[in-house]
This record gives sequence, structure tokens and C-alpha cells, in this order.
Amino acid sequence: MRERFATGFDPFVLPFLIGMVFVLGYCFFGIFRILYQLPKDDRRRFLVSLITPRTALKNVWDIFCNCLLHVKLWKRNKLLGFMHSSIAFGWFMIILLGHLEVFIYCPERVHLFYYPIFFNYFVAENESTIGGAVLFFLMDFFLLLILTGIGLAIVKRVRSRFFGMRRTTRPSLLDRVGLYSLWAIFPLRLLAESFTAHISGGSFLTIPANWVFRQFLGNDLNLLPTWWAYSIVLGVFMVVLPFTRYMHIPAEMMLIPMRNAGLRIRHPRKGFAKVQVLSCPGCGVCIDACPMSAQKVNIKDCTVYLNRQIRRGNEKRIEEISDKCLLCGKCEAVCQVGVEGPRMRVAQRSARRYGLTPDFAAIDTAPLSRAASAAFSGAAGATGAAGAAGAAAGAAGVAGAAGAAGASGASGVAGAAGGAGVAAGAAGVAGAAGAAGAAGAAGAAAAGVAGASKVAFFSGCMTRLTPSVGKAVCSLLDKAGADYVWLDREEGLCCGRPLLTAGRIDAAISLIRKNEEVILGSGADTLVLSCPICYKMFSERYALPGVRVVSYADYFDEFVQQGRLRFEKSDICYVYHDPCELGRGCGIYESPRRLLGQAAGIAEAEKNREESVCCGGSLGSLTLDFAHREVITRKSLENLYSSRADAIATACPLCLSTFRRYSDRPVRDLAEILDASCRL
Amino acid sequence: MENKNVLVIGGGIAGMEAARRLLQLGCEPVIVEQSDHLGGHVAGWHKLFPDMMSAPELVEQMAAGLDGVTVYYRTRVANMNRLGSGYSVMLSNGMSLQCGAVLISTGFRLFDASKKEEYGYGVYDHVVTNSDLEAWFGGAPDDRIPDSPARVAFVHCVGSRDLKAGNPQCSKVCCMTAIKQAIEMKEKFPSAEVWCFYMDLRLFGKKYEDFYIAAQRDHGIHFVRGRVSEVSEDIHGHVVLKAEDTLAGTPVKLNADLLVLMAGMLCNDDTQGLARMVHADVDSDGFMRSRDNIYRINESNRPGIFFAGACTGTKTVPETVAEARAAALDIYNYLNGRD
Ligand SMILES: Cc1cc2nc3c(=O)[nH]c(=O)nc-3n(C[C@H](O)[C@H](O)[C@H](O)COP(=O)(O)OP(=O)(O)OC[C@H]3O[C@@H](n4cnc5c(N)ncnc54)[C@H](O)[C@@H]3O)c2cc1C
Ligand code: SF4
Ligand code: SF4
Ligand code: SF4
Ligand code: SF4
Repeated sequence: MRERFATGFDPFVLPFLIGMVFVLGYCFFGIFRILYQLPKDDRRRFLVSLITPRTALKNVWDIFCNCLLHVKLWKRNKLLGFMHSSIAFGWFMIILLGHLEVFIYCPERVHLFYYPIFFNYFVAENESTIGGAVLFFLMDFFLLLILTGIGLAIVKRVRSRFFGMRRTTRPSLLDRVGLYSLWAIFPLRLLAESFTAHISGGSFLTIPANWVFRQFLGNDLNLLPTWWAYSIVLGVFMVVLPFTRYMHIPAEMMLIPMRNAGLRIRHPRKGFAKVQVLSCPGCGVCIDACPMSAQKVNIKDCTVYLNRQIRRGNEKRIEEISDKCLLCGKCEAVCQVGVEGPRMRVAQRSARRYGLTPDFAAIDTAPLSRAASAAFSGAAGATGAAGAAGAAAGAAGVAGAAGAAGASGASGVAGAAGGAGVAAGAAGVAGAAGAAGAAGAAGAAAAGVAGASKVAFFSGCMTRLTPSVGKAVCSLLDKAGADYVWLDREEGLCCGRPLLTAGRIDAAISLIRKNEEVILGSGADTLVLSCPICYKMFSERYALPGVRVVSYADYFDEFVQQGRLRFEKSDICYVYHDPCELGRGCGIYESPRRLLGQAAGIAEAEKNREESVCCGGSLGSLTLDFAHREVITRKSLENLYSSRADAIATACPLCLSTFRRYSDRPVRDLAEILDASCRL
Repeated sequence: MENKNVLVIGGGIAGMEAARRLLQLGCEPVIVEQSDHLGGHVAGWHKLFPDMMSAPELVEQMAAGLDGVTVYYRTRVANMNRLGSGYSVMLSNGMSLQCGAVLISTGFRLFDASKKEEYGYGVYDHVVTNSDLEAWFGGAPDDRIPDSPARVAFVHCVGSRDLKAGNPQCSKVCCMTAIKQAIEMKEKFPSAEVWCFYMDLRLFGKKYEDFYIAAQRDHGIHFVRGRVSEVSEDIHGHVVLKAEDTLAGTPVKLNADLLVLMAGMLCNDDTQGLARMVHADVDSDGFMRSRDNIYRINESNRPGIFFAGACTGTKTVPETVAEARAAALDIYNYLNGRD
């Protein structure tokens, strides 16, 4: 080993150094800004998580798996995974090995940023020593790996279909500068190291290249200019990085610990949301996934474009994109970075200010819960006194209507949005409520299985609009001998979800409090839901101590296991559509399939479970009109038809009515199918 | 006239009236009817507004004029091609015809009320459609209709003027049908309360407004402007309607013993197929497209293909009959080389 320059410096490192200092400075400044933007309790939580050994270890592991190995991408498409991980991991290894070399051979230079990068220029080592041979081999190996990745990236630009993608985004001008400089970095490094290999040593890539070049060049005049070029492209890349999609590299390293700390999006633009936006590399995977992309006009409303517009600060488009989304959650499910598209949109919607806020505090819930509690056994038969609820609850009716009006009003008042207000401390409150609810549920679970439970069936407005579903659920509860009451058979309050998806979180919470009163006052210990939209709401946002909240699919599945329900298998073959709210929303995929499998044949659609395609009927969108929704519905039906089943089954009343509108084959709710084939 | 044969597709009142007139003009009409009877929808109605004329009697009267007209029942057109100046037609019963002109009078299809699931048709015990009610008036038993209802509710615009149901058109006849049926119910059950929930009342024809005023003044029928949002069933099997009275600005709730849904008129399912057979056009509402909607409603954009009745859009009986006569004359002139 010998250092070639006593000073350990050459002016060519300057471009690199400038870029490096700039990007580091930018990132440090950014980190402080983001930390400053976080609400106090979130900031504390985040900082504590960084020094808690368990989360700290998890952070390192997750960063390694996601940022370097791109594990999630591998699962999506092997070629895409290889391309990204070869570049990321290869580059990381080259930097690591560079540092290792400096540590081993000239530890006194450790403080020089550029030394590990330009090691081969400054230090002449000989590959004949064992250490040199191994290190040089590894260096060349990883360089080759990166070059393969870059080669694939170039192919991908031209033919994205090879990578399982139909559509990708178009890079902006700066993105392109970043892209081309990134592509140029590694071939230039290869050239630079090859020109230097006869002086500083090399391995299987650089030595033969060096030999070839020397055959016709015969001098070392190219040596310094190539190192200059290498340094310049590195510098350019780092200077443009913060303004391009490549910002995702540092941002994701911040996103992962923040997510592991359990942070939630509280503000549409600041803090956690900002980090998510910056972490999006614009890979475009969410474009093909988004059901709205069934139509060209709506492609630019996918999450990747939301991120892009937020980065550009285009307020008008941000509003439009935020309002249009179905909140189906698919982009989030496929995103390998974990950008929470739906949450960002709800946060954005919640920044809007309205002239009129519905207030539900005045509703008298006592008659509703009294009627329900009177209906449990011992009183006048299973649904006996439920009718009385009708007489007493005129007020509730009014409130329900007001709730609906509030939700639909949201799109109308869109223009009146006040800038970027504070989204919602409410989310925090609700979070706590959710936790309490879960604890209660656990406590009540035992009672539920024991069979002596008092069951409240909450159908929600969606089920009331598809009465066949409500009837089937009641019939099944009857057949299983449950002691139940249909809580909102005639009168009931909205679960609050439409208000919540419209971003009107305070109004939603005031409605939630009222519903909690009704349910707790009814004396029920189990709350069964036939609509996954309500179910998600009840299980995440309600505080119902002592009451178990359960979807009808899980509940009937238990009845089957207890032998309380039995089915006769029919010869009809159904394809099961995973409703977004039940599947991606609540993680329930198996119990509906188990039940359906007992009552009929079952087939799978091409895209199912986490990747199921929204029916297009979702309450989430505030602005999609029927013509556009129809296209989405038909596309979703096509996916279901791919299974060649005779009929379609789902477990969401909204999916049911949406599909029924356009389907060429029967569509039935799980409850209807079960009830029809139930044998006592 | 080289070829006096005229194919009439659809033997509703439009097809019947046109065939009768064509016969009088010396043509030889052949009616192809997919069902087993003539008269189409009208054969299933009880009384016709605004004169409360008996619908079966009208159909009978019209059928009497069809002596000498060939009618193929339970038959459809399998295939049709332009041949010379006329059309060569294959029927589903194996017959083939050469005809000089074709009249399309295939009428409409009633909206399937079970598609508006929120109204509970087919799910709740006491929900019927306008068409069910006509059949019941005509004597067909229907156990969904109680013996002595205390309260009857009619809902207008079921599957009409409804983008969600895929039909933005007004069906035009159902406001009047609702009023007519409301009066008939009131006459049958004088002590019953009768309620109509409407979006707008579209009462455009001669005597229609009088009919409406009589319904309010003489029969005490209640009219509420507002769409019904939701229908449920209470434990006694009553239907419970929820709506918003948009004039009063208040929500209303009504318990009723019978709910009648005013199902709308839609284009037939096979309109597209039939149109394609003769290269005629289908309009954006799914009905057949006339050359224009003002002066040439009877004519298609293809030579020798004519329309009459509800196949080009919603029509009342008098409109249908008038169009059928006009079409007969147009066809006669066409066959004689006159424009
Ligand atoms: C509930 C209700 C009540 C009404 N009451 C009144 C009233 O009181 N007064 C009034 O003026 N109007 C009334 N109308 C309107 C009236 O029914 C129509 O104007 C009339 O039916 C139109 O007649 P049409 O012959 O054009 O069609 P249709 O009556 O529909 O007849 C079409 C015929 O064609 C046949 N057909 C269809 N396709 C084919 C095919 N491909 N091949 C062979 N045959 C085919 C059908 O089987 C049918 O027989 C009412 C409508 C409704 C829905
Ligand atoms: S949001 Fe996720 S899936 Fe969409 S482009 Fe960004 S990283 Fe890719
Ligand atoms: S939530 Fe669904 S509709 Fe909205 S952007 Fe994501 S994939 Fe598209
Ligand atoms: S309607 Fe069904 S499929 Fe569509 S968003 Fe809602 S739950 Fe998902
Ligand atoms: S005629 Fe009346 S009931 Fe029928 S669609 Fe038109 S407005 Fe509605």
C-alpha cells in the first residue's frame, strides 16, 4: 500500500464535495423542520422510539430490507426487485467497502469525506495481497451488479411492460437530470478505475478493461479527466437530488422509523405526511393498481400524482385529487414505500372549513336504547319491542338526514376551503377510543362465545338500502338461536363514516358519541355488523367498553364452529369479491371464504384479497360521477368474471348494489347465500 | 306497388293499429309477436287515463280490425337482409318472408323494480309495482295487497329520472298512472289514506291537470314533493317510508300497508340487436333513433324501415295510436314511390 499524494487532495474532488455538503446540509435542515412540524406528543414518541432498543433494531432491519434489498418489490416483480436492489444494495456496498479500505489502509484519512469514494485514485494497493484481492474483487463485483441494474433501468424506460407495469410516470426535467447523472455515475466509475488499475490495482472487471484501453491509448492522459467526470456527475446528482424523485432515498430512511414509532398523519402537508410525500420515488405502481385508472381522464388522480402535486404546491390539483379518490386503499396496499394515499386525502379534506357544522349533541338517545334493551329475551321476543323505537325516534331521523346532507355537502363547498388548517387532534382522540374499544372487545369476547350474549345487530344505512341483506342476517341469527335485536331497524344514527371520509372529523365524533350512548344503553354485549364500512368505523373509532364489535362474517363463522349453523352445499359456484373495507380495511379475508365454501362452490378472481378491485361505489369519493363510477364497476366486474364463476358473492351491501346495477350474472351478499342454504 | 308485404315487428297497440291501417290501404301486413297475445302492455292494464276507458276492450276493438292479417305468435325475427328494394326476413319459426317495408313497433320494457333495492320490491311483503296493481285491478289475485289497507303510498319515478338506475329519462306516463291508480284505490277503499311521493308532477296532456285537481279536491289524496330515501319494514309487516318533504323542508316518515312503485319505461333489451340487423341507429337513451324528433319520428335513417309507438321513446296510448296511423301512411307512400 502506498499513498500516491502526500496531500491526500486533488481539485477534482471538489464537485463531489460541494454536492455532498449541500445534500447533507439540506437533509439535516429538513429533518429539523419535520421534527419541528410534528405535534409535541408525536415528536416525543418518535425520539423515544429511536433510543428504544427494540424499535431501533427494527428500524435498522426495516431500512436494510426495504431501502437496500427492496423486499416488497421482489414480491411484486422479480425483475423490478432485482433492478432496484442491485443498484441500491450495490451502491451501499461500494460505499461501505470504500470506508473499509480507508479504515484498513489509511485510517488517518477517515475524516475525509471523499477518500472512500475516490480511494483508487489516491491509494495504490496491490491485488496480490490477500486483502487487496478480496476487496478489489468485491468492489468490481458490486460495480458489475450496479451496472446490470442500470442496464435494466434503461430497458425499463423503453419497455416498462417487461417489469409488469403498464403505466409509469413521466419524469420532470430535473428528474431527468438526476436520472441521467445517476446512470452516468457508474460507467464513469468503471472507466476511472479501469484507467487507474495498472497503478492502483483492480480485479476481474477493471484489469481487463485497463489492458484493453492501454492497447490503443498508450498513455495516462485520460486518467484525471475521467475522475473529474466521475466527481462532477456525483456532484450534479447530489445537488439536484432534493428537487427530484431521488429525494426518496434519504426520506424513506426517515419514514421507516417514523412509521415504526406509530405516528399517524395529522396534517395534510407537514410532518409525517411530508415525509411520505418525499419518500415516493414515483415508481408508478399505484397507477395500474388504482381503480380510477380504468379511465384515462382519472389517471392523474392516483396517489403518485398527489405526491407530485404536493411537492409542486399546486393547490387546485391537490384539492381535486383529494376529493376524487375512492379511499379504497389499494394504492397503499401495493406501495412498497408505504405511502398512505387515503389518509393523506382525508387529512387534506379535513383542512377545509365549513360555514355550518352539524351538531348532534341534542339528540335524545334514551328512547332508542330503551327500546333495544326491552327487546332482549325475557321481554317481548327477539325483535319484539323494536317497533317502539320507531315511534320515539323522530329526532334521530332528522339527525341522520342532517348527517347525510353534511357529507354530500362536502363536495359542494370544496371551493371554500381555507388553506392548510390543522387537520385533527381528533384523530388522536379517536385512536385512543379505538384502543379502549379493543380492550373492551377482548373482555367481552369470552361472554360472546359462551352463547348467553345479548346481540345488537347494527345494519347501517347501506344495509337498510339493501333490505334483503338485513333480512338474511336476522334470519340467520334466528336460526342460530341468538338473543338479538335489530338496533336500527327503523330508526338509527349514521355510524359517522361519511362525515369522516369527508374530513369532517369533529362532526363525525359527535355522532359517534351518540351512537355509543345508544349501544351502551341497550345492554348488549356484542355488536354485529353487516356492513364493513360501519364495521371499520366501529372497530377503529368507537369506545364501547364491554361490548364486542364483530363483523357478521366472523360471527357466523364462529356459529359454524360451535355447530349452531349448518349449511348444505349448493352447486352454484361463486367468486368472492373482497370488499375494500372488509379486506384491506379490516384484514378479514378468510372467514367469508370459509363460510361461502360451506354453502357453495368458490372460485377466485385474478386479483383478490389485498389486491381486490374496488366496486366503484365507495363513499370515499366526493366528486366521481356515475358515468365514471360505471367504468370502474365494469372493470371490477371483469376481474371477477375472470374466475368464470356462475355468480358473484360479496360481503358489503354497497358492493352488492353497485355490482347488481351492471353485472351480467347474479350478485348476492354472503348473508343471503348462507341463509338460503342454511339447514337447521 | 311491387311488393305489398309489410313486416310489423311487435303486436302491441302500435303494431295492431298500423297493421289495420295498412290493410285498409291495400298492403299485406304480417305481425310478428314474441308473446302469445296481441296488445302488448296495454293488454295488461285495467283502465286508461284520462277517460278511464277499459284497456282490454280497446285491445279487443282494435283486434277486430285485423281480419286477414297474418299474426305469428311466440315468434321473433331471426335475421333480416336488404334484398333489392325490400328486405328478406328469416323468422325464428323457420318461415321466410320477402317484404317491401318493415315497421318496428317493439314498444318498451318496464323497469325491474327489484333493482331499486332500497324500496324492498320482492323483499318486503307489501310492495307492488304499477303493473302489478293494474293486473290486480283487472282481477288477478295478489296477496301482497291487504284486504283493507289503512294507508297506501305511491312512489313516483322508480327507475326513471335516476342516473343511478341508469335511466335519466322521464317516463312521462307514470305521474298520471299514479294519480289514476290512487283514485282507483281510494274508490275501492274509501277510508284509506292515499299518499303520493313525487319529484315533479308531469301532467302535460289534455285533461291531465283536471285529473290531478280532482284527485286532491274530490278524493283527498295527499301529495308530497320529495324523493323517498329509504323503506323499511316494521315487525307488523308494515312498510315504513322515509322521505324529505322538500316543500316544507322537513323529514317525513310514513307507515303504510301497501307501497306501490311507479316503475318507469325503458328501452327493450334487444333494441341494439334489432337495430344492428337493419343497420338502424340506437339513440343515447337506448331507444330507436328517429331521423329527427320533430318532423320524422316515424322514419329511421334506412330506406324502408319505419317506427311506431314506444320503441322510439316513452309514449301514451293516444300518441302511440296516432304514430301508428302516420307510419301506415308513410309506408304506403314509400311502397308507391312517393316521398
Ligand atoms: C303502468 C302503465 C300504465 C299505463 N297506462 C296508460 C294509460 O292509462 N293511458 C295511456 O295513454 N297510456 C298508458 N300507458 C302507456 C302505454 O302502455 C303505452 O303507450 C303503450 O303500451 C305503447 O304501446 P306499444 O305498442 O308501442 O308498445 P308495447 O305495449 O310495449 O308493445 C310492444 C309489443 O311488441 C312485442 N315485442 C317487443 N319486442 C319484440 C320483438 N323483438 N319481436 C317480436 N315482438 C316484440 C311485445 O311483446 C309487445 O307485445 C301506461 C304505461 C304504463 C307503464
Ligand atoms: S405512492 Fe407508492 S406506489 Fe405510488 S408511485 Fe409512490 S412509491 Fe410508487
Ligand atoms: S385509495 Fe384507491 S382510488 Fe384512491 S388513489 Fe388509492 S387506489 Fe386510487
Ligand atoms: S363499496 Fe365495497 S368495494 Fe367499494 S369501496 Fe366500499 S367496501 Fe370497497
Ligand atoms: S312521469 Fe312522473 S313519475 Fe314518471 S318519470 Fe316522469 S316525473 Fe317521474
